[in-house]
Amino acid sequence: MDERDLINRVRAGDGVAERALYDAHVDRVYRLAYRLAGDDALAQDFTQETFIRAFERLGTFRGDSALATWLHAITTTVVLNGLRKVKRFRGREADLEAADGVSGARREAEPDLKARLTRAIDALPQGYRTVFVMHDIEGYTHEEIGVALGVETGTSKAQLSRARAKLRESLADFAGEWVS
Amino acid sequence: MMHDDDKFNEWLRQTAKGYHTPRPTPHDEMWQRIEAERARRAARRVVELRPWLRWTLAAAAVLILGIGVGRWTARQETGAGGGRPVATNDTAGQDLLYQIAATQYLSRTEAFLTGFRSDLRTGRADARFTGQARDLLTTTRLLLDSPAADDPRLGALLEDLELVLVQISQLAAGRDTHDADLITQGMDQRNVLPNLRSAIPAGPVPVRTEGVL
Repeated sequence: MDERDLINRVRAGDGVAERALYDAHVDRVYRLAYRLAGDDALAQDFTQETFIRAFERLGTFRGDSALATWLHAITTTVVLNGLRKVKRFRGREADLEAADGVSGARREAEPDLKARLTRAIDALPQGYRTVFVMHDIEGYTHEEIGVALGVETGTSKAQLSRARAKLRESLADFAGEWVS
Repeated sequence: MMHDDDKFNEWLRQTAKGYHTPRPTPHDEMWQRIEAERARRAARRVVELRPWLRWTLAAAAVLILGIGVGRWTARQETGAGGGRPVATNDTAGQDLLYQIAATQYLSRTEAFLTGFRSDLRTGRADARFTGQARDLLTTTRLLLDSPAADDPRLGALLEDLELVLVQISQLAAGRDTHDADLITQGMDQRNVLPNLRSAIPAGPVPVRTEGVL
């Protein structure tokens, strides 16, 4: 079915079309939510909220961009706002812990590359982390990221570059891994 | 030949694939929850109209109370004065009306909060409290907008009560008792119940207006 037909049917209240639209996009929405949240329950909550909002607001979708891009803009808004609330709720303990890992103070106690990389990515400023996850891990283009986050393409590129630089600094102990 | 930065970026891309690796998408599970949540929100949109209805009803109740009190007062004064014409003093009448309404409300709220605390201690506080809190909240807000709130002490008390009632009205049925404990802690810190009790005049609540608000 053509995407425009699908959208029109959803707007007309067709439940089958709603499910078809959901099935077509849910994997990528959930993946992005999971990558950013790092928690299955939160990722499910964010995915659900994304689709609920999308169905509510589909009437305002003008088709200037692809539906997927529009959906991912809703996803990033839902996830980033949701994570801010979670962060406020949980206090600053997680931040302090993550920052501690990046500072290098616990390098000797934590030799595992995967764990160190995870902590380093978690500790990135939110804007850098979002762009890095979307581009380098999930394969979004800078144009898609720009639309999703409401920033210029150049900003997305600059943030990715800074994110990589910070990660390189944080992972200096493992330089041999990529030099070789 | 690959530049050092390119090598790092490529290595990073490959290594970071393991960052927060998602599990397979729970398609059906999430769809069912989406449908349920949409239905719940649609129902809530209808219910959300009800506060307006409650406001209207509460306003009507205050009006009826005013008429009732006015007539009752007039009869009392006529009886006492042996047919003497009733002096009409609008301000005094309004003050009396709001005093009676406030006393009624404060008595009900005191009973409610005392019951809430008591049941909480014994682990018997349940969802019926949220409904009662919402009803009292409507009256609280009416009184906050009324001349009754001009009195600084009563105004401050009404604001404290509004906060407490909002919190209780938002307690979920299967809530964590921690939330309820926080409410009672807040009440204790602000001396809500002692202030409430001292604001209620001694003696019985006017019988003729009981339950109007």
